[in-house]
Amino acid sequence: MKRLACFLFLAAPMLAADAATIEKGRAQEKRQCIQCHGLRIIHVQRLPRGAWERELDKMVRWGAVITEREALLEYLAANYGDDKPLPVLPRSADAPSAGK
Amino acid sequence: MFSRRQCLQLLSAALPAARAGAQTPLAFPGKRSLLVHNDYPEDLETPVEYFDTWLTPNDRFFVRQHLPRPRIDAAAWRLDVTGLASTPLKLSLDDLKKLPQYRVPATLECAGNGRSNFRPRMPGLQWSKGAIGNAEWRGPRLAGILKSAGVSNKAAYGNVDGADVGVGKTPDFIRSIPVRKLMHEATILALEMNGEPLPEIHGFPARLIVPGWDGASWVKWVTKLDLSEQPDSGFYFATAYRYPKHPVAPGVAPKPEEMDVIGGMAVKSIFAKPADQAKLKMVPHTLQGVAWGGENRVVRVEVSTDAGAKWQDARLSTQDFPFAWRLWSFNWTPAQPGYHLLMSRATDSAGRIQPIEALWNPSGYLWNSIDRIAVVVEA
Repeated sequence: MKRLACFLFLAAPMLAADAATIEKGRAQEKRQCIQCHGLRIIHVQRLPRGAWERELDKMVRWGAVITEREALLEYLAANYGDDKPLPVLPRSADAPSAGK
Repeated sequence: MFSRRQCLQLLSAALPAARAGAQTPLAFPGKRSLLVHNDYPEDLETPVEYFDTWLTPNDRFFVRQHLPRPRIDAAAWRLDVTGLASTPLKLSLDDLKKLPQYRVPATLECAGNGRSNFRPRMPGLQWSKGAIGNAEWRGPRLAGILKSAGVSNKAAYGNVDGADVGVGKTPDFIRSIPVRKLMHEATILALEMNGEPLPEIHGFPARLIVPGWDGASWVKWVTKLDLSEQPDSGFYFATAYRYPKHPVAPGVAPKPEEMDVIGGMAVKSIFAKPADQAKLKMVPHTLQGVAWGGENRVVRVEVSTDAGAKWQDARLSTQDFPFAWRLWSFNWTPAQPGYHLLMSRATDSAGRIQPIEALWNPSGYLWNSIDRIAVVVEA
């Protein structure tokens, strides 16, 4: 029991990033990613951490300035990992001119 | 009354807009309600219930944008035909309108339609079934334009660019189409879609129609066609929209040289109605959907109402063209109440049959597994 508690204590930081880091990642997303595209295209993905890393590499090659890479990665993995189900997509409203 | 699912959808649609301080709900020019994958640039999916007509209305047609939609001044817009041609051309919209106009009914499908079904998952829009639509496109043939330009025998590709440009260092969206496909009588530069001027969101004033091929080939807002011996070396042709030359195990990434251009699309059918998870009465029902086969005609659609044990032929609509989908329908009276797994599979004129399971590939293209929906029949 004592060994298990010890393991959990040591493992905890590896299992989940702390809330402050995730919030830092969220702020980074809001500040940097949105400069080129809407955030929805991020939020509809469900990817393993390695795939998120490759996506960040691609975005940096395409001009993204990421100053808090680890925090952004923690935020993406915590919220949009492949262990989570796909979100229910929103339906847009009819545009005023459509279907008339 | 809204279902719980509809309420959640409405809430999720309204919340981000509210958070951003926006007063108006999410809406897109010329579009009725669609499923929103992304709002900037727009990536919008057609809900399957609207696949009950042969032509998909423009205001329900799906949208896939790689780059933000450009602003086009129709009067100033020109199409440059350059490269291996004896008479390079600079054509205005009026010039194109004066050429003979051809109508081509053709189904447009995003190569990644159905990507959300693959496991392991991969990055990309997580399309369900609705990154597809069928329209009647109208405009001049590329063959006529290339002949006017005096295309050289050495030209193997038309490298096609649109007015959209990458943000930051994002690559430009350029696609290379083999000249032999450009010269096909059904390959046109569409100026109209379903009898209306091409909507801006679909590529006004001119969009390349490459019948039977993946949507990525159908370049929008076309401004340049460069005839060359070589295909474009940029990301969107040399790297993206590639499929393994030989099947790979799920999760395996082939080397770049083991990948090939997609080109023609797969054979596929889907259900439009009833809706997945619908509750039905013990009365006769008409199951219906659409089926297509890339560059081939659809010759058969079969339906199973017992989880794939037995298959029966569905009726096909009378429209029978290469490149355009067909509607199918099947009369079904449930023999007993309870949970029923319904399936559909298509066969095309090349003898291709929709498989039980689409092959996994690194970018999640060409999902065409036998379609299935579940319904609950109430006594």
